[in-house]
Amino acid sequence: MLKKDNIFTISVFIVLLIIPILFDDFYINNISYFMIWTFISLGLALIWGMGGILSFGQTAFFGLAGYSFAIISINFSDIYAVGIWSPILALAITAIFGAIVGYFLFYGGIYDVFIGIVTLAITLVLETFMAQTAGPEWTVGNARLNGFNGMQGMPPIGIKIGEYKFDLQGIGQYYFIVFLAMFLLWLLYKIKKSNFGLILLASKEDRTRVESLGHNVKKIQMITFSLSALLAGVSGILYTNWGGYITPSSMGLIASAMPVIWVAASGKNDFFSVFFGCILLVYISQTLAVNGAQYAIILMGLILVIVTRYFPEGIILMLKKLLTNKFLSKK
Amino acid sequence: MIILFNLFYQFGDALSFLLLAAIGLAVIFGMMKIINLAHGEFITIGAYGTVVSAKILKLPLPIAMAVGVLVTVIFGYILERIIIRHLYGRPLDSVVATWGISLIVSQSFLVIFGPSFEGLQTPLSNFQLGAYSYSQYRLLLILISISILILLYILFLKSNFGTLARATIENPKIASTLGVKVDKVYTVTFCIGSALAGLTGAIYAPTMTIVPSIGQAFIVSAFVTVVTAGASPFIGLIPAASFLSLIQTSVTFYYHATIGVLALLFSVILIIRFLPKGFSGLLIKLKK
Repeated sequence: MLKKDNIFTISVFIVLLIIPILFDDFYINNISYFMIWTFISLGLALIWGMGGILSFGQTAFFGLAGYSFAIISINFSDIYAVGIWSPILALAITAIFGAIVGYFLFYGGIYDVFIGIVTLAITLVLETFMAQTAGPEWTVGNARLNGFNGMQGMPPIGIKIGEYKFDLQGIGQYYFIVFLAMFLLWLLYKIKKSNFGLILLASKEDRTRVESLGHNVKKIQMITFSLSALLAGVSGILYTNWGGYITPSSMGLIASAMPVIWVAASGKNDFFSVFFGCILLVYISQTLAVNGAQYAIILMGLILVIVTRYFPEGIILMLKKLLTNKFLSKK
Repeated sequence: MIILFNLFYQFGDALSFLLLAAIGLAVIFGMMKIINLAHGEFITIGAYGTVVSAKILKLPLPIAMAVGVLVTVIFGYILERIIIRHLYGRPLDSVVATWGISLIVSQSFLVIFGPSFEGLQTPLSNFQLGAYSYSQYRLLLILISISILILLYILFLKSNFGTLARATIENPKIASTLGVKVDKVYTVTFCIGSALAGLTGAIYAPTMTIVPSIGQAFIVSAFVTVVTAGASPFIGLIPAASFLSLIQTSVTFYYHATIGVLALLFSVILIIRFLPKGFSGLLIKLKK
């Protein structure tokens, strides 16, 4: 049961589970924030690492989910259990939007770098559109879109049963994110081992050959794209819930570069490396941003250039392999 | 008549913007199959090079523009030598690496020059026609964009270098066995692309607010034009840019500038859905 591969994953999760015993709320909230970004990174690792399709537009889904969640929960804040079904509805919208974009991309015969450009264009369109909605005429029901100032005042994810009230905040939020990450990592490993995952992996190597073996590659790519949009949406909703706000700049050019950097630097072919590396890199850029966000972004850019030039496999994955070979392979 | 001229002016303005934004990207993509995501920052370097040498070194505008182009070429040359040349044949990696470069450059400009920089005045004067006033400089830009295209056609289709460059894209291995210095051809092509991006920044610098994100104003237009132009941008660039600017101008004329931009992007999505090889693919098909 305990395979070599899993030792790192299990030890990291044990550490994550005991962290709340050792640290106070401030750190717990920060670590929750770092972990929120792992979902969008895992989605990118799924479509890029496994599918060989580089999407620059993951933040479009991030923003779409965040905004949908905000708009729905503000408008229907009186209806029962809005904190449960509004995030689910927002995720559904995101997944459907992802499937539509995927349909246009893959059934339209767009491949390689063009997919990156088109997805980037979609993100920037959404950003440009949301940024000019500052005026009072831009409202959806009761929710003002507020342009560049961003939306706020949405009720948090949670539910009220009789007297008992549960909000996704503080330590509850922390454990929710840890368990969700555990579940999704397990699910992604299952997908990787499944028939579906194998076809996807094969299509990365040679699309035409897999198609001539009778598999519907376009459909599989479309579903994968929609799944990765869904994962980006999970990040978007949790982010909106965490800070209680969402702005158009979360879809801008710099924001959309970040998941690509985290995934490329960590190692796009291994979900655990992406999960761990993403937390680490978000932590580093947050710490650096104290002295000015520009310096953190310059460092992230440098990491991206150096990694693609010298360590195309990714640093975390490389270290993981190194440690595995050194300590675990001698039996 | 005046309305017609007005439409022509708007169309020409949009067309020259798309052409100039895309041309450097199109040369590098068309010849080397590399999408340079730092293209916008090359334009930024050209613009800052021009403004800094005009404002601080007090150079006359045409010379300042030449300095802007030169700085961009030097930057492109160094970049090609250190990073880009190691990524030939890895198109996705080159996209990712150039994105990193784009972040580094734009944020460094923010650190060095601050959030905004004193701009230049638009040279030449305006003239009046009916109720509208037109900028002579913008009319000049239309002329410049068309003459650059003609020069590029001559360079790549008639000159000796053009023959070598086309042989290199066709088949780098055979070209090198025939004595073509493939490395050099790539370097020169990348420098030409950088020069064109720098030139775009230099000649648009007097018409825009100088901010570190100035290149971002061009980058989306550049990408959508190159994407709709298709796999051989040299053939597809003019039809793609004309079609897109026609849509943008007419929608802007009847509705609103933001809706014009949205219509532009929406039509791009439709074009690549039904013409995945872009306008150049369509033209090649029609010729056969």
